Amino acid sequence: MKESCSGELLERFFDGEVTEGERSLVEGHLSYCRTCQHALKSMEGLRHLIKAPVDEVDEKENLYWVWQRIEREIQSREKPPWKEIVWHWLDVTSMLRKRVWVPAAAAIVAILLALAPSLLKKTPSSSDLSVVEYVESQSYNVMVYESEKENVTVIWLLESPEMEGAPQS
Amino acid sequence: MERDEAELISRCQKGNQEALKQIFDLYNKKVYRIAYGVLRHREEALDIVQEVFIKLFRSIKNFKGESRLSTYLYRMAVNTAIDHMRKIRKPALSSLEGEEGFQPAEGPEKGPDRIFLYKELEEKVNEALGKIPADQRMALVLREVEGLSYQEIADSMKCSIGTVMSRLHYGRKKMQDLLKGYVTQETEE
Repeated sequence: MKESCSGELLERFFDGEVTEGERSLVEGHLSYCRTCQHALKSMEGLRHLIKAPVDEVDEKENLYWVWQRIEREIQSREKPPWKEIVWHWLDVTSMLRKRVWVPAAAAIVAILLALAPSLLKKTPSSSDLSVVEYVESQSYNVMVYESEKENVTVIWLLESPEMEGAPQS
Repeated sequence: MERDEAELISRCQKGNQEALKQIFDLYNKKVYRIAYGVLRHREEALDIVQEVFIKLFRSIKNFKGESRLSTYLYRMAVNTAIDHMRKIRKPALSSLEGEEGFQPAEGPEKGPDRIFLYKELEEKVNEALGKIPADQRMALVLREVEGLSYQEIADSMKCSIGTVMSRLHYGRKKMQDLLKGYVTQETEE
């Protein structure tokens, strides 16, 4: 009887990995073979020893707070630190890699050339005015300024320096 | 169910955290049982659960649906737990040789002495599990704790069914040797 014992088949039987035919064969064998009966019980005992502590801990455990930790962790990883954000904005390596800088530089040069005449153009100022006539008299000096471009004439009436200290007559 | 799961995965792949929460609700206990079964340490097992679901959220875009989500998760749990064991785990505390005697308790509800014996036996089992190779230990946990089929274990551990059978066989044999007396006495009851 012992010659027909198969440890491999018994183990598959124990794990529920046998065909119907194999099941019948093992069950028939187990009815009289004490060695295989003992081996089967030994495997059952080991399974209990391994599984029971896990079942016990599992029953008590509530994992909701683990989810809260996971959620926090995911959210914190989704928000990069401000330094990384700044660096990302400053990082032009991807642009250089894509060669967009060639048309970008060309566009900037074109814009500068277009704007150059108006930027370099002289703005009108008081220096455009020129003295046309200056008349001195005892009581007042008269200065006439005339703008060349806008047809503006400015007449300044200045008190004579002699008059300032002279007694009034 | 399959369709619901596919939809959940699709939403999760788009970065939907609510979908991840639903996946977490479905599988957190299974991942926890595998992690605790292997590591036998509550806090470490909880860390593994956290790590596995964060990894899942990060990597789910690469999930092509070639395997079931449960298998994908078991594989992640297995790999994360094994990595953890390699990095952090201390060697087993003491030898079991020459220690024999008591009968395993059914549970801790039979008085202080029984609680003590139960805890002691639990420690012995943990020590024995710590002494067998990681792949055998993992196969044993997936089979004995989670009741996975050979095919599911093979998929989770990325190996053949023959390798699974071999790991289970040698793992059981070593565990029975290490727990000689405890297992026998229980089975003789």
